[in-house]
Amino acid sequence: MGASHFSLGTGCLASCPVLMAILIGHPEWKHVSALKQLSTTSVEMKLQRSIEIWKMGIVNYLDALKLQERLFSDRKAGKILDVMLSLQHPPTYTLGKRRTYHNLLVPEADLKAIGAELHYTERGGDITFHGPRQAILYPIISLRDIGFGARKYVEGLESAMIELAALYGVKAHAGKVGETGVWVEDRKIGAIGVRISSGITSHGLAFNIDPDLNYFKHIVPCGIPDKGVTSLRRETKMELPSDELIHEQLIQCLARIFRFSDLQWKQEPSSLDTGELK
Amino acid sequence: MAARLLWASRAASYLRISTFPRGFASVVKDLKYADTHEWIKVDGTSAMVGITDHAQDHLGDVVYVELPEVGSNVTQGKNFGAVESVKATSDINSPVSGEVVEVNSELNNSPGLVNASPYKDGWIIKVKMSDEGELNSLMDSDQYTKFCEEEDAKH
Repeated sequence: MGASHFSLGTGCLASCPVLMAILIGHPEWKHVSALKQLSTTSVEMKLQRSIEIWKMGIVNYLDALKLQERLFSDRKAGKILDVMLSLQHPPTYTLGKRRTYHNLLVPEADLKAIGAELHYTERGGDITFHGPRQAILYPIISLRDIGFGARKYVEGLESAMIELAALYGVKAHAGKVGETGVWVEDRKIGAIGVRISSGITSHGLAFNIDPDLNYFKHIVPCGIPDKGVTSLRRETKMELPSDELIHEQLIQCLARIFRFSDLQWKQEPSSLDTGELK
Repeated sequence: MAARLLWASRAASYLRISTFPRGFASVVKDLKYADTHEWIKVDGTSAMVGITDHAQDHLGDVVYVELPEVGSNVTQGKNFGAVESVKATSDINSPVSGEVVEVNSELNNSPGLVNASPYKDGWIIKVKMSDEGELNSLMDSDQYTKFCEEEDAKH
């Protein structure tokens, strides 16, 4: 955590011109000389912002939810900085706060037979499906720190997925008003469902790399009938690298859009193996 | 009037143009404001609460408002409900503590009133305040205007 503390520290330092002037002259503070380049006006100042990325593999939906709740509390209490979970789920259907149950087209009892779970959440958005080969990112970040509202945050999530698709030659676009998400023509490739509480985000985005799209037949995806779903595999002419690399690229796109300059990667295999989260 | 405002706001939003050309969100004098972008209009010991123009603009089109039960208690700074817009649910926090005496059930049918008329038809709850002293910790319209400018300058 030393590196991130330092970057926060220099950010704070840089906002105080008088203190900076004194320190730059000090022979021990070699690093501070780099700050000479920084503008002293606070509006132009861009604080070094850190985020910790947890690479998690396949995680059960409820386990991921509990982890998010814990991280959310810690973030709210200021115990941790911004964090983002990068993972995939086993076959799972989820409903948002509005409980749009009518968009589930098969009886709930049948879901077990097809190897899927159903969960209720407090996120925005309608019913959706998550499964293997679909990249999930859950940023738990403070929007108040960057002065973002829900709309701007969601636009950022959309842009990240659009940029990622472009890396593979796929022309994706944000939905029109009322149809949040990322589309290739009228086929949905990326979904969003977010919760913002005390200015801190949870839940996030789901991007279809190459999930089994048949699972989407059992729902009206995101409550929008007549529109299909698609995946990066279906839309690109390029050969796809590993999911791990695609996740990393998506994270880099997101980090750039939300101006995180310091990414700290963290692997969490042990928590998955034991099934217990510390 | 409200319905027309609502229609105009939605149409403009769909076309991605501004209904009411202005460079900044409107702030109403004589109201008090919380730093989480809720406003409060005091009338004796009771008060009307809603979210500001700045808030509704930053949220996007509201498609759902989760209202508290009449008779339930609210606490200053704590959430009492939520709004959903652009697939995001956002908490609404109460500027004061007290008892909810009325909720705007119009919002169940027309959640977009929060966008079209944030200070009037889009009001959310009415609270019987338990401690009027809490109003002193809120901002007036000038302070709130400055607060919004500083927040928007962050990005």
